[in-house]
Amino acid sequence: MIFDLNSFDSDQSITGGICITGAGPAGITLALELAGRGIDVILLESGGKGFEAETQSLYDGEVAGDLNTDVSSSRLREFGGTSQHWTGLCAPLQPIDFEKRPGVPHSGWPITRADLDPYYARAQPYLQLGPFDYDFQSWKDALPGPGLPLDPALVIDAVYQQSPPTRFYETYWTTIKTNPRIRCYIHANLIDIALDGEAVAHCDFSTLDGRKLTVEATNYVVACGGIENARILLNCNRQRAQGIGNEHGLVGRYYMDHLNCEAGAILFADNNINLTLYDGFVEADGTALQVGLKLPSETMRREGLLNNTAFLVPAYENKNFSNDFRNHGWVSFSNIVKAFAHGEVPDRFAENICNATEDADAVAIGIYRHVVRSFASTGRALAAGLRQDAEQSPNPDSRVFPNEETDPFGWRRITLDWQIAPSDLDSLRRTHELIGAAVGAAGLGRVHIGITDPPDLGIVYTGYHHMGTTRMSEDPHKGVVDRNCRVHSVKNLYMAGSSVFTTAGTANPTLTIVALAARLADHLADTGTARTGAAKRS
Amino acid sequence: MGRITRRLALGIAGVAGFGVVAYGGTLVACRFVPRKHPSFFALLDAVPDDETARRVGKAMVASGHAPSDLRDLATLLSERPHIRAALVTDCPATRKRLVQTQCRADFAEGRMVSVEGWLLSQTEADLCAAAWLAGGRTG
Ligand SMILES: Cc1cc2nc3c(=O)[nH]c(=O)nc-3n(C[C@H](O)[C@H](O)[C@H](O)COP(=O)(O)OP(=O)(O)OC[C@H]3O[C@@H](n4cnc5c(N)ncnc54)[C@H](O)[C@@H]3O)c2cc1C
Repeated sequence: MIFDLNSFDSDQSITGGICITGAGPAGITLALELAGRGIDVILLESGGKGFEAETQSLYDGEVAGDLNTDVSSSRLREFGGTSQHWTGLCAPLQPIDFEKRPGVPHSGWPITRADLDPYYARAQPYLQLGPFDYDFQSWKDALPGPGLPLDPALVIDAVYQQSPPTRFYETYWTTIKTNPRIRCYIHANLIDIALDGEAVAHCDFSTLDGRKLTVEATNYVVACGGIENARILLNCNRQRAQGIGNEHGLVGRYYMDHLNCEAGAILFADNNINLTLYDGFVEADGTALQVGLKLPSETMRREGLLNNTAFLVPAYENKNFSNDFRNHGWVSFSNIVKAFAHGEVPDRFAENICNATEDADAVAIGIYRHVVRSFASTGRALAAGLRQDAEQSPNPDSRVFPNEETDPFGWRRITLDWQIAPSDLDSLRRTHELIGAAVGAAGLGRVHIGITDPPDLGIVYTGYHHMGTTRMSEDPHKGVVDRNCRVHSVKNLYMAGSSVFTTAGTANPTLTIVALAARLADHLADTGTARTGAAKRS
Repeated sequence: MGRITRRLALGIAGVAGFGVVAYGGTLVACRFVPRKHPSFFALLDAVPDDETARRVGKAMVASGHAPSDLRDLATLLSERPHIRAALVTDCPATRKRLVQTQCRADFAEGRMVSVEGWLLSQTEADLCAAAWLAGGRTG
């Protein structure tokens, strides 16, 4: 059932098995997995169906440190969360990402990739992806073009899968609504986590106009996104002045994002190089894939490098084959066209129309080029740019913290102080040099290194991936949650989402978020926490 | 570098030509050509006679990545196995191929230099420097 707290005329108090706050990919997956195990769930979501300006403005905050990021509009505060405008590129973290790496201070998860493998397999369908297979060799024969003839000891092909992208509102609203084990409340903003000693006694929720709901459960999960998870713990400071779980001053620290940049290029010596495989999405056995280049894990270990996958952005001699017009407006326009072509009304039609209209130039260029492409030839691929979401190293000084501004609930808003270490870009430069060595050794051409020495941090933009603010470690002095995502200092409080990431890897985070949610569901189910709740009016 | 401009892409094209592997038949043809052990200068035919190559050569010497004395540079180059082989062949195509093989070996073994952002093999950059020195440091 889905209830709208706005429509209740008195304050409510309910009890249930597991209380989950946040109905984004993490919260929805967790709720469905728990319900699937026969456990009663209360799912509480701040937003409603679609964008509501007043609710969205609860996310307003400040940006300090690196300014090429945002906290107010990149995250979406509505049912479905930020999946309502994510792009859908997916890959699992690699085994090396979980290791303690000598070249990467503060690295090392308390779990391994093998611990997550079964959950990655379970996560794939939630994001409408293909089989859990990210091995280039498995896909090779089904791909529409050859890989570059590079020595696999030097550079390998990395496979990513592309989600439609799954919008969690459109895809799961009805599923949640009809699930007898799930009671979901929309317009329910978490405003307090009340502790009784070492455990949560209840959580309090409120609508923007003050209707209250108290939830008592056996276990509580906060699944409100990589920034908000920390903000919640820091603002719930009635009983613990420094905030919940913040005994060692770690909540909000180690904030990481992916270093989104297009830097460097490969110039090919052969006029007829075939770049089909690397030019955007390709289809293999009905699964949409994207293929990039990366260093083998052995090389990363040996050189102490951060992880990276470089996707190629080909620039053709005939400019009509370049895709540099693909901005937000173009993506919106093509969503509209695709939906109409399937006889459907496009998702978020009004928003897409606005995007397309604002970017009319890009849309016009895109249409023209698509027409021309049907009869012109590409000409030679002059070069290919290197575009990436590179790994950022964990850094305690990169953080989110409450500032002096407050929201309508009296909660302090956050400042995001995103700190990028120059050594992160030094690592990326070295990665490109090693790709350049492989390209040169294969006689394919030469690489232009786009990262200066010392590096210009201004080339980096947010990847919109907020990670690390309640990081996982077995040692309470080094992490906020344990290997099961439980807050060390609270018996029955768990965090779900990328805030628990110890390191960021280079893979986009949502597949791992969903896998961790499925794993948390098993943990909660296996530790015997099921309890059936009943609503009672206060 | 945000975008790849045509100028940027073509800027290094001549030097990147060191990397092209486009022989096959020429090698077979060269097998029957009598050897005359050409001078070091014949090697420099492999260097494109263009502005980019001169810029690379000049930058190599100016930065101290290559010796400013042509004889020292020639000695250095001739210590590399495929260059040594190239110095004793008089078939231009074979010579070019051997230079390319040396360049690829440089990359495989991590002997690279960065000139104006381009990652070049030590050999091709040294050859550009040698050509620049031999050409009277002009351009
Ligand atoms: C432009 C863009 C592109 C992206 N592209 C990709 C991509 O290609 N691949 C990828 O893997 N990831 C991508 N992401 C990231 C992806 O969207 C997030 O990783 C994912 O949405 C996180 O899921 P979540 O459930 O943890 O958090 P969210 O999706 O942020 O959901 C959190 C939920 O909690 C609710 N909430 C917040 N505070 C409260 C409160 N106090 N009380 C009650 N409810 C609350 C919110 O309303 C929201 O519904 C992209 C993000 C953006 C912005």
